[in-house]
Amino acid sequence: MTTDSSTDSFEEFKNSFSYGSRTDLSFKFLKGLSSEEAGEFLGRVLQEVGELFDGTSTDRLIDLVYEWQVKGYQPKAAAKRPYVYEDRPFTPLAKPLSETSIGLVTSSGHFVTGDDQSGLDQDDMTQDWAIARMNDFLRAVPVLSEIPKDLPAAELRVRHPGYDIRSVSHDPEVALPRLPLEQAQEDGRIGRLSPTLYSFVGACSQGRLKNELDDWIHRWKNQGIEALFLVPV
Amino acid sequence: MSVGHIARKAETEGLPTVTVIVRSFRHVAEEMGLPRTVVTRHPMGRPLGPPGDHETHKRVVGAALTLLETATEGGIVIELEEPYRPR
Repeated sequence: MTTDSSTDSFEEFKNSFSYGSRTDLSFKFLKGLSSEEAGEFLGRVLQEVGELFDGTSTDRLIDLVYEWQVKGYQPKAAAKRPYVYEDRPFTPLAKPLSETSIGLVTSSGHFVTGDDQSGLDQDDMTQDWAIARMNDFLRAVPVLSEIPKDLPAAELRVRHPGYDIRSVSHDPEVALPRLPLEQAQEDGRIGRLSPTLYSFVGACSQGRLKNELDDWIHRWKNQGIEALFLVPV
Repeated sequence: MSVGHIARKAETEGLPTVTVIVRSFRHVAEEMGLPRTVVTRHPMGRPLGPPGDHETHKRVVGAALTLLETATEGGIVIELEEPYRPR
């Protein structure tokens, strides 16, 4: 982004981390804080950084950012909450977990190299472009990417306009836990991990997503999947 | 909330689910009435744990499988206390 931010107010400054001139998806939560809260957060961050000069562990800094991130995402009293339900749908396992076929589904935005389906009309979309087109993603039909569970990590890609992908870029297991589920299969803890894993971009039209679910669940059942392990990001 | 829609629909269609979600979005799981939720005290975008920390990933998956196996009603949320500690 090249907009002139040299005269930003503090309010504009803290909001600019959320799809603005200083976009950083790990810190977009600043927009959810009041200016007073954001000021307190930044002051405490600087205090902890100052402590690091004298050899203090980074643990306190990590905990501080985590705590304020949680605070930043809490719903505001006046915010519209469109998906609040009173019922609690529940299906018990039909047979022991050790005999159950598990499907892994994540909203991480992973896909196989050469099978890039953003759902938007743009080839070779980068992470930066995805962030710039966040509003287009939020109107789009989500595309369910199929990922063979034995796919080499080098053939796995990730792109998502809604969260910081640095960790999942280093290690897909952060949101696509193939290894522990395969280990659970080897140990006899689960019946099996389904041979195909699934990922989509969770930042999508919620109405259009719901329209896709009959088809998605039909596909999963046809794969012999008997329970879902879900990982939102 | 995308995954919340999946969980609710899957359960009504006879597919049991378990969801691993970071603490920032615990309220979403509770508002949407997800059947079985494991909450991790990790930063957004790191639900299973730090990159390369496969022991933590294994513990989180183990907790989720236990919840999948033992829950007897919907709306169960358990929160793991382990803080986020990258290696």
